[in-house]
Amino acid sequence: MQRTALRATLAVLIGPSLLLLTALNVAPFFLGVYMSLYYWSLANLGPPRFLGLLNYEYLFADYRFIDSIKVSLLFVVLSVATELVLGTTLAFVFSSRARGMASLRRISLLPVMVMPLVAGLVWFYLFNPTYGTVTWLCYAVGLGRIPFLTKDWLALLCLVIADVWQWTPLVMVVVFAALQSIPEYCYEAGKMDGLSQRQMLWRITLPLIRPAIVVIMILRAIDSFRNIELVYMMTRGGSGTETLPWYIYSTAFIDGNLGSAAAMAVVMVLFVTVLTQFLVGRLRYRQA
Amino acid sequence: MREATIPPPASRHRSVGHWRPLRTGGLLAVAVAFVGWCVFPFYIMITTALKTDPQIFAWPPVWLFHPVLRNMQNAFFVVGGRSALFFLMNSIIVTAVSTILAVLLGSMTAYGLARFHFPGDRNIAFFILSTRFAPPVAFVIPTYVLVERVGLLDTRLALIIVYTAANVSFVTWILRGFFVDIPKEIEEAALVDGYRHIEIFWRVALPLIKPGVITTGILCAVFSWNEFLYAMILTQSRASTLPVYLSQFSGSTTLVWDQYMAVGVIAVLPVLLAAWWLEKHLVRGMTFGAVR
Repeated sequence: MQRTALRATLAVLIGPSLLLLTALNVAPFFLGVYMSLYYWSLANLGPPRFLGLLNYEYLFADYRFIDSIKVSLLFVVLSVATELVLGTTLAFVFSSRARGMASLRRISLLPVMVMPLVAGLVWFYLFNPTYGTVTWLCYAVGLGRIPFLTKDWLALLCLVIADVWQWTPLVMVVVFAALQSIPEYCYEAGKMDGLSQRQMLWRITLPLIRPAIVVIMILRAIDSFRNIELVYMMTRGGSGTETLPWYIYSTAFIDGNLGSAAAMAVVMVLFVTVLTQFLVGRLRYRQA
Repeated sequence: MREATIPPPASRHRSVGHWRPLRTGGLLAVAVAFVGWCVFPFYIMITTALKTDPQIFAWPPVWLFHPVLRNMQNAFFVVGGRSALFFLMNSIIVTAVSTILAVLLGSMTAYGLARFHFPGDRNIAFFILSTRFAPPVAFVIPTYVLVERVGLLDTRLALIIVYTAANVSFVTWILRGFFVDIPKEIEEAALVDGYRHIEIFWRVALPLIKPGVITTGILCAVFSWNEFLYAMILTQSRASTLPVYLSQFSGSTTLVWDQYMAVGVIAVLPVLLAAWWLEKHLVRGMTFGAVR
């Protein structure tokens, strides 16, 4: 009796969420795999045609697909690496006890939760070749009018800059929190052992903030890998900025080839799942 | 002469003698420069929203000008056509409803996972968490087909359901940590008093973690407010939210910067307030409790 009551309670508490997640995550996943085996047009012209693994075969012969993965990886590596280096350095700067640091830190957090689409809009304006503010600043210091968003490599770099602008503060504040949580006695012990400042940094500080850095690194990698807003607003996939999300999006909803896009999506989900497993293994599951 | 060996205060940033003020000054300068870089795009966005067209397209940029509010009025109160006000209303409704639902369902699930142990509970928790990392662009394709078959295309309900599902995983994971922190004795006392488990959850446990619930709810609201891809694919006109309005700018041939920047300011304003207010809780929320 007691046991069935407990079970009912548990069903009421957990059931609705599991049902919802099954309907909106598990079901779409399998539907996506199913769609990837068909010629499935957005235009609804007749029923989907079964292709077997043909979509996948085409995919790995499609240089645009291979390129889009490369572009995405480059975007992720460049932006996450820059954010980590800048963010960690700034975390040390902000943990100085100088007056006003706390307020400065708080202001610097403003970009973090801004609508990514708006970030793209503003950076699109800043990089505009005929009146953009950044273009003008570069012109004013004698670099000439740089066509930021239409030149190969440069365009991708602009996306990286926008991503770095938005997320460096988050990395900074996460590493900052990790730095603050190092107990003072660690340093005192180090001092008693006669460690120099540099040794303290390498043997005490860095090892202790490493877990936080790894977590934020994987989180940022997952997040910037799936970013589509910046490409959407700033380049629409032009000038060597065709990332995997943009290619999937344009194949599905501009070209109307849902089946082929679904095959790419399956590949993307596999990528992200690997990353997620790394992350999930590092999150603590505390028991009551 | 007495040797004065006063040890310097135990500080991580100890530096020698007269270098100290110089070094603090340098650090402050770096911090100020970083803040300037963070704030500059906001400055450009707000000023562009307050400029007239010739000023927006000027080379070199116009730094001093008389701000005009006409752009805001044009964007939100146009006569005929669809004003941004319509999109704003959709955004507010979808965000509010999906946040409330996600917090409700998520806190229930979190409580269940924190207080009851059953075979597979750990796996369920990790499954729920991992759905949070699903790449939207991959899942939006089958979701579009599902929503179309069910006949919910271009309805607010579709967006509400999708955002609730996306946020439930987040709420569950974060609030589970909060529930675990509550001393068990409090609830055991309530159990002895004859409360049922559901009542304990609602009347005892949930009120105890109210601050956590509020901050988690705000983070959910920010997510729903900012979400773009599902909103664009699943809606066409009737249920479109603010990001969909802004996305119209992309690929358009006439660059109506003034109006879009004005709408951008309105789209960003509530989120900035949230970021300012959440400052202390941002780290725990954004790292799924891994860093506090």
